[in-house]
Amino acid sequence: MRIPLRRLGVYFVAFLFAIVMNFTVPRLMPGSPVDGMIAQLGPRATPAAIEAIKARFGAVEQPILGQFVDYITGLARFDLGVSVKYYPQTVTQVLARSAGWTAFLVTTAIIFSLCVGVSLGAVAAWRRGGRFDAFVSPFSVVLIAIPPVIIGLATLFTFGVTLRWFPVGYAYNPDLDPGLNFTFFGSVFWHAVMPVLTLSPYLIGEFQTTMRSSMISVLGEDYVTMGRAKGLGETAVMFSYAARNAMLPVLTNLALMLGAVFGGSIVTEIVFNYPGLGLTLFTASVARDYPVIQGQLLLMTMATLGANLLVDILYGVVDPRIREERA
Amino acid sequence: MNFGWQLLWRQKKAVAGLIIVAALCLMALFAPILAPTDPGERVGRSHQPPTVEHYFGTTKMGRDVYAQFVWGARPSLAVGFATGLFITALGTIIGLVAGYFGGRTDATLDLITNAVLVIPNIPLLILLASFAGTVGPVAIMMIIALTSWPWGARMTRSQTMALRNREFVTAARMVGEPSWRIIFVEILPSLVPLIGINIVGSIIYAIVAQTTLEYLGFGDPLNVTWGTMLYNAQNSSAIIVGAWWDISAPAAGIALVGLGLALLNFTFDEIANPQLRSGPALSRWLRLSRLRKRELEAAR
Repeated sequence: MRIPLRRLGVYFVAFLFAIVMNFTVPRLMPGSPVDGMIAQLGPRATPAAIEAIKARFGAVEQPILGQFVDYITGLARFDLGVSVKYYPQTVTQVLARSAGWTAFLVTTAIIFSLCVGVSLGAVAAWRRGGRFDAFVSPFSVVLIAIPPVIIGLATLFTFGVTLRWFPVGYAYNPDLDPGLNFTFFGSVFWHAVMPVLTLSPYLIGEFQTTMRSSMISVLGEDYVTMGRAKGLGETAVMFSYAARNAMLPVLTNLALMLGAVFGGSIVTEIVFNYPGLGLTLFTASVARDYPVIQGQLLLMTMATLGANLLVDILYGVVDPRIREERA
Repeated sequence: MNFGWQLLWRQKKAVAGLIIVAALCLMALFAPILAPTDPGERVGRSHQPPTVEHYFGTTKMGRDVYAQFVWGARPSLAVGFATGLFITALGTIIGLVAGYFGGRTDATLDLITNAVLVIPNIPLLILLASFAGTVGPVAIMMIIALTSWPWGARMTRSQTMALRNREFVTAARMVGEPSWRIIFVEILPSLVPLIGINIVGSIIYAIVAQTTLEYLGFGDPLNVTWGTMLYNAQNSSAIIVGAWWDISAPAAGIALVGLGLALLNFTFDEIANPQLRSGPALSRWLRLSRLRKRELEAAR
């Protein structure tokens, strides 16, 4: 499967941009962040730790280009520096602890919203102008416009604090030992319900809107008429003929929205005290733990680029026209 | 006159959206009359539920939530609207230049646009904001605008490319008009519906991003906005102690702006792309055809 060179160029530039941001922003800011970080470390500030922080943030006697080369070689060895807050631990260790939870949350929310949003969009387009469409379609646009903070706080207050249906923090019951048993998985599921429901409205709104407009243009195609002419039932034409092809723009949209989904997950994790990357980022930003904040940006950029690449590949698999063009 | 009213009545969603947004703007404008109390003043005991004196109750610090809500609308709306306009201006200019000139200019600009588009915005915003410390409204505006223009740029670019080879543009080129004139006088007016959608969408995005940043504590905590109200409420654990009024006032404000703008945008979308329409005309036609079908069946 070949990906067009242009797309790879885009990903390369995006990644480079994130690296350059990480490198230059601390060096451009008024006042050195280094002193603050050393003060943060307090008694744990061993000479080795101070040296590592100074080298990373440009408080050394070395031409800027040399510093940049050192920075890149460090990244190539997956060396993201040491965390200031959790000092003996490296940034990689801190991020590895929480990345899994965010991946779990984001993937679950995306799959759930894809199922709901795509079906709503398909049905709304199929019965365009009907009562269903007239209610669901504007509602989806409204869903996109409401920040996840608001939805999160409302969910937390209603279902977490007032009704006490769901637990209000952590990824699983801290009394349980993580293991491959039903109780543990049940607890993980139960703790993920509110965060997933907070992340989903925005995604459902986006998927519904994209699916509806793409489905409307597909419904005018000849092959849909052909399906009807064959005398197939409503559902068969709707799902196997129209919706299948209308899915393609939804896929593209999904890849582009991933950055926004990460943004939403940061807020959601903070509201629900969920131990993912977002909560780590928040505690890091409160403690001015710059190495962790930087590592976070790189990791999320990489995840978004990876997902985009995956969609590019998937696109070729799903759409035979693209497959043939490239071959 | 009658016709005008009918036209408005048909665009119920747009009118509702307009009324909501206008009401909030008027509230922000007349804040000194509507809420004479200073939003930073301690007026009562901590976390008092809503009463006749304090319509929306008090905060943990004993400040009037209603006064904070009314005064907070000012910076929240101003930053949201200004940022939205700024994002649109940036995206429109970049898209126009890329789409009109084509070739290497387009290749470079398109590469940058797509690259900035795939970088996750909020983590980037947090990186910038955390190095800058607490940031004022202008800094928040700049940070949001510089990371979120690509959506508009992409839409504008493809539209411009479609317009570039139309007769009226070729004619202008033949007459020898300079490129900037062709871009801004000939092409730009045809993009007005697109720019309208872009502005409303950008304002929505700017308000979401601003709220998120302020909720995370990057705003100036002394500056009363809806976002910092949420931050302060969260910090004083308003939800856990059951002080719902402290959270719901700013939350309702932000949700209402979102609702109003979304309703406007939905209508703009339908105007720009009639295919997407789901309005009364379509449902009337569908009802008529259903009736006819039933009559035909009855006749049989």
